[in-house]
Amino acid sequence: MNPQRPRISPIAWAIAPAALLFVLFFILPFGVMAVLSFLSGNPVSNPNVAFTWRHYNRLVGSDLYFDALVATLRIGAITTLIALLIGYPLAHWMARMHSRIGHALLLMAVIAPLLTGIVVRTFAWMTVLGDRGVINVTAQWLGLTEKPLPLMYNEFGVVVGLVHIYVPFMVLTLVGVIGRIDLALEEAARGLGASRARAFLEVTLPLSLPGILAGSLLVFALAISAYVTPVLLGGNNVLTLPMLIYQQVSASFNLGFAGALGVVLLAVSLALVFAYNTILGRLTGERQIA
Amino acid sequence: MSRRFDAGHAAYLTLNGAIVAFLLAPIAVVLVFALNPTPYIAFPPVGVSLRWFVKFFSSAEFMNALLLSLRVAVLVVALSTVIGALCALAIARGNLPGARLLTTLFLSPLMLPAILTGLSLFQVFMLSGIGRPVWGLVAGHTLVAVPYVLRTTLAVLHNFDRRVEEAAAMLGAPPARVFFEVTLPLIRPGVIAGGIFAFIVSFDQLPISLFLVVPGGETLPVVLLNYIRFDLDGAIAAASMVSIILALSAVLLLERIIGLRAYVKL
Amino acid sequence: MIRKSHISRRSVLKSAGAAAIATIAAPAILRAQTAILRTTAWGGKWGEVMKGQVIPAFEKEFKCKVETDSAFPYYPKLQATPKNAPLYDVLHTNTSEQWQAVVEGLVEPKLDAKAIPNLADMYAYAVSDKICGVSAFTSAIGFGYRTDKGLAAPTSWKDLADPKFAGVRGTYVIPVNSLGQMHLMMLGKIYGKGLTDLDAAYKALEQLKPIKTYDFTGGMEKALLSAEVNIGVLHDSGIYRYDGQNQPIAFAAPSEGVLSLEQVWNITPGTKVRELANAYIDYILRPDVQKTLAEAVWYSPSNRRVKLDAKYDAKLYNTEAKVAQLIQVDWKWYNERKDDIDARVTRILKG
Repeated sequence: MNPQRPRISPIAWAIAPAALLFVLFFILPFGVMAVLSFLSGNPVSNPNVAFTWRHYNRLVGSDLYFDALVATLRIGAITTLIALLIGYPLAHWMARMHSRIGHALLLMAVIAPLLTGIVVRTFAWMTVLGDRGVINVTAQWLGLTEKPLPLMYNEFGVVVGLVHIYVPFMVLTLVGVIGRIDLALEEAARGLGASRARAFLEVTLPLSLPGILAGSLLVFALAISAYVTPVLLGGNNVLTLPMLIYQQVSASFNLGFAGALGVVLLAVSLALVFAYNTILGRLTGERQIA
Repeated sequence: MSRRFDAGHAAYLTLNGAIVAFLLAPIAVVLVFALNPTPYIAFPPVGVSLRWFVKFFSSAEFMNALLLSLRVAVLVVALSTVIGALCALAIARGNLPGARLLTTLFLSPLMLPAILTGLSLFQVFMLSGIGRPVWGLVAGHTLVAVPYVLRTTLAVLHNFDRRVEEAAAMLGAPPARVFFEVTLPLIRPGVIAGGIFAFIVSFDQLPISLFLVVPGGETLPVVLLNYIRFDLDGAIAAASMVSIILALSAVLLLERIIGLRAYVKL
Repeated sequence: MIRKSHISRRSVLKSAGAAAIATIAAPAILRAQTAILRTTAWGGKWGEVMKGQVIPAFEKEFKCKVETDSAFPYYPKLQATPKNAPLYDVLHTNTSEQWQAVVEGLVEPKLDAKAIPNLADMYAYAVSDKICGVSAFTSAIGFGYRTDKGLAAPTSWKDLADPKFAGVRGTYVIPVNSLGQMHLMMLGKIYGKGLTDLDAAYKALEQLKPIKTYDFTGGMEKALLSAEVNIGVLHDSGIYRYDGQNQPIAFAAPSEGVLSLEQVWNITPGTKVRELANAYIDYILRPDVQKTLAEAVWYSPSNRRVKLDAKYDAKLYNTEAKVAQLIQVDWKWYNERKDDIDARVTRILKG
């Protein structure tokens, strides 16, 4: 720990535009929403509103919402882990690729899924995973299985869909970091007799930890706020907090309760992210996060 | 020893090949739909036809939406890269107290379901009489794009070798010159990666756009979502393929001009 | 090489900047003199016909501009705007939402019969006390089913629970879809004492598992077309719109009666263009306009004077006798309990 905190450098002022953007377009509206969560109605259309804990009581009082929160976090964590396991090898390959064309092609392959558009992409997965989808039709045709495999309308389908969408984010975050790791360090390790695997585990992997942290945080944040994919691929069997929020906003006419759900989701997520950030920050011995 | 190397390398390549196949599988599916003449989405396909592309390109609604989405995305990329990069520099170099907390805070728009962000922005805009101008839409998109730029730039700044800056300073360069000629070029990779994210995020953004678009001025995802509620045919697949081709062309173009390759190396 | 990319980058930035400025400063259409009517409209084929034919004709006749919002959901947007400056002048949505809107004071409880003369020609159901505003069109909710699975056409709502449909039957995510909500109430009628017998409905819903759920009718249509389900709760329009495409799907109206999925138009109390709004609703109720829209998407028109072409006339609910079969539910009652129902249903179907 530094015994004496260094003076704030003038470059700290560079945070001003971001701060302005956030105060005006995030904190203010979010504040409005948080206030709504303590009111009995929307004061805009209904002047007679009162302060109430009703929405939060409802949240706490029912298993349904707690289960939804847990499911949301669980799906987020699993998605992040799998996205990391899949994304790292690809990022490593891309970062170390010598051919410029190969690199460009890989970049396009990584970005292309993101450009299909969320609705179309999820429909495409429905077509692949459904009971009469590509996988099941082929498997049955090949005689591998009699009844269709339940690849959809469950958490498996949701995770597959989410991983597919978020792996590119993981890859693009990792590529920059891995690419900047000085190859000389790896070569030195190998020169000293370490195997490829060992050089990777003890040199490359630790040095890419900041990228792992950055990528994981990003994917986790996105996965816990996802709506379209869990709805279309999970059906009624998977209930996440964003799905509940969407229902409350668009079909239950209940802005206050939706606001309460949002406040809880954000608070829990922020706490988790901050904790993860701190722990991994300590592990990499850095004062600042990556 | 050479054989062992090959086996390990072969496994590495196979693994990565499988991952790329996983990434591209749904796109292959979408392409099949886009060319399949049946007026609903199904498998297996019955043929090849361009009618959905014709329908897409001849629809004024789709074309206007596509154009608006592109224009908004370009604006968002410009704004978010500048704002995000400045913010990253401030956090990494400014010695601000609570840097970790600040970063978590700037990441928070991503954790909140965008429908709430969109709705609360809408409410504030309406209450303050701002209405729903295009700049409001751009602001909403920028809000959710900045975290990406911030993340990627910070990740690069972290691996930064400050001795390069210190060397430049020791050689007599004033701080401003060190900044513009050493620091900025070195963080460029992170900013560009963030910019790519920003483009994708804005182009594909749905929940915030739902609340901030005006009749006649809808973005492509909004038009597609509405279309899909009532007509489940290949036109959306065609729209999707066009988006992909357009954006990939942009990426290729960037590659030629700026040389994205550079963003991986020092 | 540096110089080359420097110039190219600069010119790229320049043109991007110009495009950006053009986007933001896009000239607003000069509307100072023309009245503007703001309303909602579904997308897809409906939207095409509305924006392509119906609305331009209205704009020409009444010398005004009509703005249609197609970015669903509409309700929260209306809720978020002040009552004296509502986002919409005319709201077109389903009955369930209109009822909630009335309760919250966002739309008028009753339309002005003097200002909308065509109301006099409506079938009774379109202006009944179960409707606030006017139901300009409706469709009948029954079953969509596949004809190539060797199944007899379903004749009763109870057929959905038939064991041979296990895992290949479909309904909706009830909290967000009014067909699903109506089906739930129907279960109460079929298996219990009536449309408000929720206990019987919950029990019946439990028996329907395993069942696939979709959040809008398009999803159900796709599921039927690709044989993900062999039978599903669907409105007739969802099947008839594939007329002429030789799809192995058909509509069945259960003997106990079909439910009514109404398209309801209503006015907001704070509208500044009340005359125009009334004229617009009156226009939608004109026989020729009703005919155009009804035949485009296979909705049943509610104006008695409409003469549909033969093939539509045969299938749609276009006579007194036929519309008498339409069952309307009490949305005010349902909306009051919606939160509890949603929680209960979600728990049942979550498995």
